[in-house]
Amino acid sequence: MPIATPPSVPEIVLFLGRFHPLLVHLPIGFLCLLGLLEALARFPRLKPLAHGRGVILGLTLAAAAFTAACGLMLAQAGGYDAALLQSHQWAGIAVAVGCLLASFTHWRGLTRAYYGSLIVTLAVLAVASHYGGSITHGRDYLTQYAPEPIRELLGEETAPAPAKVAVVEEAVVFTQVVQPILKAKCAGCHNADKLKGGLRVDTLEALLQGGQSGPVIEKGDAAKSRLVNYLHLPVTDDKHMPPAGKPQPTGDEMAVLAWWIDAGAPADKTVAELKPPARVTRALETMFGTAEPDMPPQKLADLQPGIEKLSAELSVSIAPLSQTEPWLACNASLNTNFGDAELAKLAPLKSNLRWLDLGGTKITDAGLAPVSELRNLTRLHLERTAVTDAGLACVAKLRNLEYLNLYGTATSDAGLQQLRRLAKLQKLYLWQTKVTPDAAKAFAADITDKQQLHRWRQEIEDIKAKIRTATLDINVGAQLPPAPAQVAAKPVNDKCPVTGKPVDLAKTVTHEGKVIAFCCDKCVACFQQNPKPLLAKLNLTPINAKCPVTGKDVDPAKTVSHEGKVIGFCCDKCVACFKQDPKPILTKLNLQAIATK
Amino acid sequence: MNPEQHILAERLKVITRRHFFARCASGIGSLALASLANRSLLAAAPANPLAPKPSHFPARAKRIIFFHMAGGPSQLDLFDYKPALIKLSGQECPESYRKGERFAFIKGIPKLLGTPHAFARHGQCGAELSCMLPHLATVVDDIAIVKSMHTTQFNHAPAQLFMHTGSPLMGRPSMGAWLTYGLGTENQDLPGFVVLASGGKAPDGGSSLWGSGFVPTVYQGVQCRSQGDPVLYVSNPPGFTPADRRRSLDTLNALNRMQLDEIGDPETLTRIEQYELAYRMQTSVPELMEIAKEPPAIHELYGTEPGKASFANNCLLARRLIERGVRFVSLFDWGWDSHGTAKNTDIRSGLQAQCDNTDRACAALVKDLKQRGLLDDTLIVWGGEFGRTPMNEDRHKNPAFIGRDHHPHAFTMWLAGGGIRPGITYGATDEIGYRVVENPVHVHDLQATILHLMGLDHTKLTYRFQGRDFRLTDVAGHVVKELLA
Repeated sequence: MPIATPPSVPEIVLFLGRFHPLLVHLPIGFLCLLGLLEALARFPRLKPLAHGRGVILGLTLAAAAFTAACGLMLAQAGGYDAALLQSHQWAGIAVAVGCLLASFTHWRGLTRAYYGSLIVTLAVLAVASHYGGSITHGRDYLTQYAPEPIRELLGEETAPAPAKVAVVEEAVVFTQVVQPILKAKCAGCHNADKLKGGLRVDTLEALLQGGQSGPVIEKGDAAKSRLVNYLHLPVTDDKHMPPAGKPQPTGDEMAVLAWWIDAGAPADKTVAELKPPARVTRALETMFGTAEPDMPPQKLADLQPGIEKLSAELSVSIAPLSQTEPWLACNASLNTNFGDAELAKLAPLKSNLRWLDLGGTKITDAGLAPVSELRNLTRLHLERTAVTDAGLACVAKLRNLEYLNLYGTATSDAGLQQLRRLAKLQKLYLWQTKVTPDAAKAFAADITDKQQLHRWRQEIEDIKAKIRTATLDINVGAQLPPAPAQVAAKPVNDKCPVTGKPVDLAKTVTHEGKVIAFCCDKCVACFQQNPKPLLAKLNLTPINAKCPVTGKDVDPAKTVSHEGKVIGFCCDKCVACFKQDPKPILTKLNLQAIATK
Repeated sequence: MNPEQHILAERLKVITRRHFFARCASGIGSLALASLANRSLLAAAPANPLAPKPSHFPARAKRIIFFHMAGGPSQLDLFDYKPALIKLSGQECPESYRKGERFAFIKGIPKLLGTPHAFARHGQCGAELSCMLPHLATVVDDIAIVKSMHTTQFNHAPAQLFMHTGSPLMGRPSMGAWLTYGLGTENQDLPGFVVLASGGKAPDGGSSLWGSGFVPTVYQGVQCRSQGDPVLYVSNPPGFTPADRRRSLDTLNALNRMQLDEIGDPETLTRIEQYELAYRMQTSVPELMEIAKEPPAIHELYGTEPGKASFANNCLLARRLIERGVRFVSLFDWGWDSHGTAKNTDIRSGLQAQCDNTDRACAALVKDLKQRGLLDDTLIVWGGEFGRTPMNEDRHKNPAFIGRDHHPHAFTMWLAGGGIRPGITYGATDEIGYRVVENPVHVHDLQATILHLMGLDHTKLTYRFQGRDFRLTDVAGHVVKELLA
């Protein structure tokens, strides 16, 4: 969480302040060395050692002064327990003053005073260092793992060690699960002494209160809780917590925290009461060490003779899943006489069995016990067997199971609940069982790791946003449709109405829908100036007397020139009609022409 | 001819070249034979060539049901909807398409033909399907439609051989033979590769489509009839007990073993295996074929009628075979050659009849395998040997029928189950469906993908024959990664 910087502190001060933890070890080392030299120099044979004290004393004084100065600058940044800081500050200054005193007395040759001040300075140094260490690492850092008598001697509270949890389900979530995580991963900087960002995580009240930037827990919604979100940020992110370099929470721990917040961050609920999803159950079991350890597969070559013997004896097919893995697939479904006794005989292969098909065999609930030993099993067929809810208790222990086929068995809704712990389950077949569709749906929703889904969806959104920002979207405005190829419209005249010369087809003017051609630009200008006399000169009477659309009389003003012919219409509507689709009208006109002939 | 000469002549008749080599004292003959025959088989002849073998890498599918709709179903009327082709229907096919093309039947300048059938989008994936496939529409989210298949052959037999053996010429092992050779089979009481045919006629490619080519014949497909005795003479004749059969087979096997020891031909081993398999099939097959025992709901789902030879019955049988561990089931259905020369090959009525016959059962198989949890490791492939032209063939200039000619450049297939990404449509053709324009999938690519799903590297599944290693995909083929889940 960001450390709120008082705006009055210049950055250079903060920058130099950060050198304090680095420099602080110099005066400590120098002072201890000096003390050691003086002690050794008491022996007559080692007397010459004392010759170095002048140099060391000078270096110590310089280092102590710089360190104290940096320390004062660092204190400006804030975020530390005030009382502790105060003690450390004064003790530190006292060390610097002690060094000064020792130098002075040595310079003046006051041997006794010199030894006295050196001893006092060393004592103050021990005190200052202890306070400094408490600020950085927490008050009980040194004594946390101290043997009980020593802790008692020091007057440390001997908090009862968290009760060993025998049954994960009975553990109180906050005190026995969440608090240890927070203590191990967050409390180093967020405790009563060292309130980074104003946040404390050592009590539930303080945690729920939040820090300087507001609450960090949104009860019932981990996705909106900053406590969870900051954990999931990339380590390189400024806001990622714990800061890079500090011990990071594991995926299991994050899953547990999110689950607890999603459940409303209760103080005294037990694991069982909060009904953990499979993912969290696994995490809890790993944390409490109750999870069964992984069972490494044996070498196939060692098992080979046993495989051949067993497959012949039980008339089942046992074969490696592929050439690259040590895993075995056993298909007993082809032997309908395969029963509990035969299943028990597969025990020597238990560490390598990955797929087991018992579909349609004579297996019963009682005989399923050896199955719970097959911890590497990912695929199990129990379809069309006499297995009931009772037998599923054995199946529920197969943590690696991805595929479970129970069709045609007596499985019911109650049996389904036992399978909650199968965190890796991807396919479950329940056709022809007593399981109701509603229960199946609820189970699927229940077993899904919603946190993970939510995060992945978030990631997809983030990546989409990245793609959007990384793509350059260029807008050059609407593209105009390509201009239609300029077809030189055929003019209605072949002689220039001005000069009487043959027309130039490039020099045309469109006038009231009629194309009129001229011999030169000069004549065009002449027409544009005063068209009337020239229009009169050109005989622009339409070729038709009746409108080809309506059959009414032609309006001389509503004419169109087409292929050198002037066609007349009765109204603008008919003109538009012609322009849209001239073909039928032209045919009509041709017919009329023939008719008049 | 005196008696002595006669005996000599008779003796010469029975001594074959192989006997000569085998008995050749120097042993050169047996050496020569050893190099001719498959080395691995001779070096350590396995007790059972059909025993399950591990795949190259973890497999996504354990079994295959391969629907071959013989004749070439019209992709343009079933899957590949082309509105532009409908708009241009009746116009002459542009020269740019026809240039340098050879057609099986089309002569002159053909006219484009839009589909007369309606299409609609289905499922969450919104895949387009012809309204002739209403049942397939209900499982469209479980299948992957590949619209960009293409082949090199435009006649039935070579194209079918190409699809099943990777070569348009005869003599190569079929896909099922390659797979049983590579993976063996789980159920030793049934063949690893079973073939079922419907439609009243065998496919043009004949039994080479499920032949074993140069791999031992023990890997060839066994055709089962869906009516009467599934395998001819599978039941003992009256008065002949199973014990009699056993005794006669034991004697026969002893003789065959002698032959095998003497000559070492792997085919002798095949012969022994086949006799034994046939014996076991006498009990396993009648039980397998009893589809009458299926509950009424299943008959309703598939549209099956026990005792009748039909495509639907074959589909149900396919499921029963898969359940019993058969590695590869090939279903051939004849009658998809919609040339439009008669009513039964008309795009409107003929194709509709074919769909009515098959659509329900195909979709039922997908649903049934899914509810039984079998679809996870069973791969279903559906398709023909090639596609059909976007042009009306119009061979007899009879406007009463419309039809399409053979078309190798673009056709559609669909896949489902075992490691296939469901609910996708892969690849695309141009506006009139003539050529593939996006993500082409060659027949060898399909074969490589199928082998990949079965956990086999198509470049490593080889068989040495005539001095070189052969493989299903010849020297080509790329796994279509986009189709994998």
